[in-house]
Amino acid sequence: MIQFDQVTKRYSGGVEALKNLSFSIDSGEMVFLAGHSGAGKSTLLKLISGLERATSGSVMVSGHNLSKLRGSQLPFVRQHIGVVFQDHKILFDRNVFDNVMLPLDIIGFDRREAARRVRAALDKVGLLGKEKVMPIRLSGGEQQRLCIARAVVHRPAILIADEPSANLDRAYALDIMELFKSFHQVGVTVLISAHDETLMEDYGRRILRLKEGQFTA
Amino acid sequence: MKHYLFLHWQSARTALAKILRQPVGSLLSLAMLSIAMALPLSLYLTVMSIQDWVGKLTQTPQITLFMEQSAETADIAAVSSALKTHPRVKGYTFISKKQALTDLEKRNGLNGLTEGLDGNPLPDAFVVTPASLEPKQLELLQKELSGLPMVEEAQFDASWAKRLYGMVDLGKHLTVFLALALSVALVLITHNTIRMQILARRDEIEVSKLIGATDSFIRRPFLYHALWQGLLAGLVAWGLTAWLIAVANPAIAEFAQLYNERVELRGLSPLELALVLGCAVLLATLGARLAADHHLRRVSAN
Repeated sequence: MIQFDQVTKRYSGGVEALKNLSFSIDSGEMVFLAGHSGAGKSTLLKLISGLERATSGSVMVSGHNLSKLRGSQLPFVRQHIGVVFQDHKILFDRNVFDNVMLPLDIIGFDRREAARRVRAALDKVGLLGKEKVMPIRLSGGEQQRLCIARAVVHRPAILIADEPSANLDRAYALDIMELFKSFHQVGVTVLISAHDETLMEDYGRRILRLKEGQFTA
Repeated sequence: MKHYLFLHWQSARTALAKILRQPVGSLLSLAMLSIAMALPLSLYLTVMSIQDWVGKLTQTPQITLFMEQSAETADIAAVSSALKTHPRVKGYTFISKKQALTDLEKRNGLNGLTEGLDGNPLPDAFVVTPASLEPKQLELLQKELSGLPMVEEAQFDASWAKRLYGMVDLGKHLTVFLALALSVALVLITHNTIRMQILARRDEIEVSKLIGATDSFIRRPFLYHALWQGLLAGLVAWGLTAWLIAVANPAIAEFAQLYNERVELRGLSPLELALVLGCAVLLATLGARLAADHHLRRVSAN
């Protein structure tokens, strides 16, 4: 599903965020990505969702070599990936329902079918009763759930979450993790990054540990 | 294809709804655009109306031959027969000095004008209708006729109409210039409106890009916004000029009446209206496209 082959990412200014990384994630797998801030976790996730391009090496996602795709084709790759952003990227000028509707608008769903899917996604994350609420009225955990609902509403094959449990207390973080596990159980490939490893160890899944742009044992 | 049309229909609808939902903001830019369009339109209609009128005047140009005061009946008969056989003359009427004087009295209500005068100061005259309306031919004919014996002057009635034509031409050039200048203004105004909108919706654009919106998806609502705005502005400008014509026409008619003329400003024909609306839509969309291309590149997904 996801395959990195000797991938290096160097930002302008010479900083090497990723050094010669190779790994693969199978379809339907749930994998954690661990490491301190600045270890390269976010860069790795951005390479998968086509928000950054590798300096060298190849990044394969769902059979597409992202390094070889033209810039105008990257949006279509992104449409098949669900991303939970570290800073949520919620739009505060519209209510919960319309926030979750956005990906379906982009893909161009029929309105009625789209509304049905939005409600299903909100139901899944436990926000069904708040579809008319403006996001500013939601708690931090609820905003996180809103972001997850938006990431899964178009039923992507790959779900990526960048530090979804940061800033949440442990009970809430566990709730969120359970949510991701439920998506994994219906066949979605899930990749979650976190700097707190204790949360991951309970799940017995594969953990990729990054340090200064390289994997450690 | 159906899907593609659906996306367009959806953006068009949302864009129109957005304009209607912000009546004050939309009205301001709408007013700016429609006034910018009403100016050259009014000038165009004025110039075209004058051109129609001048055209009617010069449709039947006539040459008036004034005889010398000392011309005798024999001289008049000689000119008359020369005109009859002239190949470039279609027809003619003779107006005697006596008839001319009575006409003048009647037309201007100057009864008793002759009493104050020492005889009749007016000359005998022929009004000649030429066979050809071609300007060169007319000039040649005028020269020939003025060479006839005892003819004082051959006056070309439409020579002042020619001068009017020149002014109409100037008006046309002015219209084109104004239309061009205000077309640029239209592009710039829409460019600015759309730029402000893009800046106001920066977050939405950024997030949309992050979750897979193509450039055309992001651009589309702005282009449709401009399209509607251009179309509405064109319609308002049409209304403005129609109103202007309705107000101005009675005054113009009254003024023309003083000269025994019927002059009227005309409105836009359906074809002209379609052309104006088409241009408005095209220019507005162009302005939006330029703004979108310039500013959307700055709102990067990264």
